[in-house]
Amino acid sequence: MKVVVKLFGGIKSEKDFPRNEEKDLIVETEKPLTIYELIDFLSLNKKPFIVVLNGVILTNLSIQIKDGDEISLFPPIAGG
Amino acid sequence: MKILRINMSEDAPEVKFEDLGQYEGLGGRALTSAIISKEVDPLCHPLSADNKLVIACGLLGGSAAAMSGRTSVGCKSPLTGGIKEANSGGQAGQVLGRLGIAAIVLEGKPKGDDTYKIYINKNGVKVEKDNSLKMLPNYDLIEKMKKEFGEKIACVSIGPAGEMKMSGASVALTDMELRPTRHAGRGGVGAVMGSKGVKVIVLDDTETTPRQPKNVEAFKEANKKFVAGLQKHPVTGQGLPAYGTNVLTNIINEVGAYPTYNFKEGRFAGARKISGEVEAELEKQRGGNPTHGCHRGCVIRCSGIYHDKDGHYLTKQPEYETVWALGGNCGVDDIDKIAMMDFLCDNYGVDTIEMGATIAVAMEAGLLKWGDADAAINLLHEVGKGTHLGRIIGNGAAFTGKAFGVERVPVVKGQALPAYDPRAVQGIGVTYATSPMGADHTAGYSIALNVLKTGGFVDPLKPEGQVELSRNLQIATAFVDSTGMCLFIAFALLDQPETNQALLDMLNAFYGWNMTDKDVVEYGKKVLKFERDFNLRAGFTKEHDRLPRFFYKEPLPPHNTVFQVKDEELDQLFNW
Ligand code: SF4
Repeated sequence: MKVVVKLFGGIKSEKDFPRNEEKDLIVETEKPLTIYELIDFLSLNKKPFIVVLNGVILTNLSIQIKDGDEISLFPPIAGG
Repeated sequence: MKILRINMSEDAPEVKFEDLGQYEGLGGRALTSAIISKEVDPLCHPLSADNKLVIACGLLGGSAAAMSGRTSVGCKSPLTGGIKEANSGGQAGQVLGRLGIAAIVLEGKPKGDDTYKIYINKNGVKVEKDNSLKMLPNYDLIEKMKKEFGEKIACVSIGPAGEMKMSGASVALTDMELRPTRHAGRGGVGAVMGSKGVKVIVLDDTETTPRQPKNVEAFKEANKKFVAGLQKHPVTGQGLPAYGTNVLTNIINEVGAYPTYNFKEGRFAGARKISGEVEAELEKQRGGNPTHGCHRGCVIRCSGIYHDKDGHYLTKQPEYETVWALGGNCGVDDIDKIAMMDFLCDNYGVDTIEMGATIAVAMEAGLLKWGDADAAINLLHEVGKGTHLGRIIGNGAAFTGKAFGVERVPVVKGQALPAYDPRAVQGIGVTYATSPMGADHTAGYSIALNVLKTGGFVDPLKPEGQVELSRNLQIATAFVDSTGMCLFIAFALLDQPETNQALLDMLNAFYGWNMTDKDVVEYGKKVLKFERDFNLRAGFTKEHDRLPRFFYKEPLPPHNTVFQVKDEELDQLFNW
């Protein structure tokens, strides 16, 4: 299972993952994880507040990732 | 507090101070909208002697309340033909309050084409002809004012675009460093100031003191709680100071709502290169500053100072809207060139949102190529010079679309849509369509709940619940815009009831009121009623509360959605 994880707004992973040309993390897991488990697995410096899965904002983090998914993680942010 | 009226029709402009009278209890947007609605003929030409330009501080302007320095500029808009309140940061709001002036009302119109400057301090008002100021860009003008009046001033001014009465012209307000970087941008308010012959208003608060609350202790206590609440909230305490408003570029792009190539796509390949994260990093590296307040008393400090590659000041940190309009919307992914365009817009005195949308329409017309930043910069110079082409562009997206026969023109009531595509964030589409101001994101910022999850969550891709969301936010915003508070306090207000209460406590202590949340709603509705009523009398119908039809027909990638809120539902927005 291979997914792309994009980190924004100062979120960083403490682990070393391979990266694509955009510097996003390429994360491979043996079994499908829930978003919760994925976030845990990433060892992040901050807890993500907004989670976007393939362009859709998630309200339920217990759904499972699928091969080829794109997950974007943001801290609490706003503007106008 | 007094209203200062200056009638520019007389040979020697007539200056008159008046009590607030029927406008007692109104501030900021409530005051500008009440004056325009009651005193201006809705059918008048916006550039005629019958229109008025109102510059007002908020209810708490000039007090020690944190965040209370916003300035409202109101008139009948040359861009929309309806009522307008354009809101800005900068020092003017605080200084006006300390001078005891709730609003300056510029009335009438000079007979000749002389240019005037107005100087106001605690001793009075001086209105003087000064034709040496003609066609000066804002930065040069302010340098001249500094030489003449010293550094302890705040200026409200127009650039050449305002003098040429372009519908995209802004009113500039100086920041804490006396730079003309804050703009009441929307609706062409600068053109109305230009039509009054007024180039600059210099405000000097030397030897004045802050406005005093009725109940000093309660006020202090409430202000303390309010500031603590803003500092505690992760958005107003951390996110905004660190990255500024442009932190939105990545999230709006990721959720597919970032209007790209004149609202053709919801994602821009170059978004990351122009994001707030990149901007903040460059500011640090080049000796600028990513955390800066646009007026004294701002504790959020979402602003910053942007230096060029050589480490010299170029402009303030370009805002999310600006970076989008002149960047992604035009296919431009060079942040330095966008910053240059931001500077040019400030200097010539035009709205960055309107100009970005207009340049994209010009690109759609084939006048310049998508992504050609240098050609876009040249076009802005044409605006400043007032060439024939520049005058077309300076009059905004709707005008330019007509001039070049473009079909896809993203405007409501003649005003360009800001940086969120209504097909991917349906709630903001409702605000764009129904706001009395024309397409405006600040009038009811649904993004807070549709995307950013502050104050709750309403699915952005579905039509359900969006009308109610926009209605509640439009009402609350009308109130916040009247207090003189920066709208960004709303992120903390939505999530933290005690911070919301602290704001009410502060107002109550200041004025001796007993305002509750219910009164806030009534206050907001009253403001919207003034505005709706003016627009009705100006000839607006429910058909004006609509988005351009392509938003209902052309699906927006990547979600391939269209705008789905029905016309009949939009018509329910003001049925409260
Ligand atoms: S938060 Fe930003 S816009 Fe609001 S007053 Fe402060 S610097 Fe100005």
